[in-house]
Amino acid sequence: MNLNTLRALYLLILWDLNKMLRRAVFVAMRVIWFVIQVTVFGLALTAMVRLRGSLPVDVNYYEFYLLGIYTSMLFSISVSRAYDIAEEFEEGIVEYHLSLPISRRVFAVGRTIGGGIASFLFTLPMFAVVLWLLEDVNVEAVIISLSSALLFAMSITGFVLSIVLSLKSGDATDIMFGVLDSLLIRLSTVFYPAVVLSRYAPYLYVALVNPISHIADFLRTLFLFEEYRAIAIASPIAMASYILGLAVGFSSLAMYIVEKKVEGGGWR
Amino acid sequence: MEVAVKIRKLVKRFGNTVAVDSLDLDINEGEIFGLLGPNGSGKTTTLLIISTVYKPTSGEVYVYGHDVIREGDVVRKYVGIAFQEPKALWVDKPYELLLWHARVVGYSTSEAREVVKNVMEVLGLWEHRNKYFYQLSGGTRKKVEIAKVLIQKPKIAIFDEPTAQVDVISKHALWDAIRELRTQGSTVIIATNDMFEAERMCERIAIIYKGKLKALGTVEELKDSIPEGDIVELMLDGDENTYLRAEDLLKQYGKTVRSNDSLKIFLNKGEERAIEILDLLKSRGFKIRKIMVKEPSLDDVFFYMTGAKLKEG
Repeated sequence: MNLNTLRALYLLILWDLNKMLRRAVFVAMRVIWFVIQVTVFGLALTAMVRLRGSLPVDVNYYEFYLLGIYTSMLFSISVSRAYDIAEEFEEGIVEYHLSLPISRRVFAVGRTIGGGIASFLFTLPMFAVVLWLLEDVNVEAVIISLSSALLFAMSITGFVLSIVLSLKSGDATDIMFGVLDSLLIRLSTVFYPAVVLSRYAPYLYVALVNPISHIADFLRTLFLFEEYRAIAIASPIAMASYILGLAVGFSSLAMYIVEKKVEGGGWR
Repeated sequence: MEVAVKIRKLVKRFGNTVAVDSLDLDINEGEIFGLLGPNGSGKTTTLLIISTVYKPTSGEVYVYGHDVIREGDVVRKYVGIAFQEPKALWVDKPYELLLWHARVVGYSTSEAREVVKNVMEVLGLWEHRNKYFYQLSGGTRKKVEIAKVLIQKPKIAIFDEPTAQVDVISKHALWDAIRELRTQGSTVIIATNDMFEAERMCERIAIIYKGKLKALGTVEELKDSIPEGDIVELMLDGDENTYLRAEDLLKQYGKTVRSNDSLKIFLNKGEERAIEILDLLKSRGFKIRKIMVKEPSLDDVFFYMTGAKLKEG
């Protein structure tokens, strides 16, 4: 990787970050909504939920819920990159980018990393709220969780980039990612532990391969280690590998699609 | 003279539509080359293939010997394009957009600030630098798009209908800036359906219609390519039927091309024949509103070659 490649990557990341900065008001609104979600609805929900007896260990549902809801936000905001990319395609920005003196691979990786970082930074205030509510957290867990959240956001952005550039349709993008967003969050361990889901086999199988389950349970394992490792969806190493594999796999998919398949025009 | 862009048997299909149909073309280094044709003739598609945005269905395109498919990354280092429709989001601001563009095409941050300011001042954009794109007029947006190529100074500078939507005074400023770019070493390709722009700017012109190359040469060569050197243009009182009857009558003088409100006869010795034609038409009861004898323009060349008007397509 030479200096020009790094420079191009940096500028593509900057492109996505600039776009996010213009949405400061939107970000602030989402953060406020998140605070209300975790303080009002989260506490109300926790008051109704009784996990004791259902699980082999005693888990505080509120803590479980906090990391689940943060993960669902991270996923939704990463998926919302689809609408941004679709808008860019509609306005011809993708054609403009394809004409620039940047290799297709660097373009794909740059937009994947840039979109991932933008989504990650978007959720950073929410993460801070979660840490504040969890109270006693160690620095190591914070660093590892931030890194894994960033990797997760990049992998979702890589996936989204590949699909939107292949679909070339605003309507198809809206439908597909709207459905994917709501379905995948619900078919995961965001709100329910895997052991509870095991009573409904098909649900459990989807949750087991669902990347949202892996990132949610990985974060829980980091912060609620002693209680949670017994009921997590997989071992910490397996979950971390899954997230890393996802990031590498979807970035490679984005590179392949942008390099071999994507051309301007044809937006429906 | 080195060939900057070489196009061989280029075909581009979109579904069942053939946008470019077996096009062969050489564009020489350092020239200002025009692609002249109506909307939908395949000009933009050809330009987007040269700039690697579209992929050809078949055929070959080389930029300084580099294949646009296999060596797209290299080709993009030579080419810069100002699109027909300005490419920006409604919340973009010209200065930020151009600064980012300048850095992507290789300027350091300080150089980028300087070159962007210079180009924006030349094009009269500086006062609009911090406005949102949605606040700009169509002409100003177009100038922002042109500014990208002027900043980039690429070896091959492509402009797709550069002065569409631009006012008359700004048109001249843009033309001067494009000429200056050529002076600095760029090969310039302009796609246009404006005959005046093509005649004024381009040293060689390819006339394209329905994806096919109809004629190629300098402005003079194209005008001389009409075998009969003069045009008698008639406007008659009457309906389409009147023009049909007149056309039948005047075919003996040369090739005739009829539009809704005029009839053109391509012939030699126009002044002498015009009197004959006038007498003949009067004797057959036609009422002549206007008769003109003129030398062919590029519009006439296009009309002669395709039977269609440039603006109508």
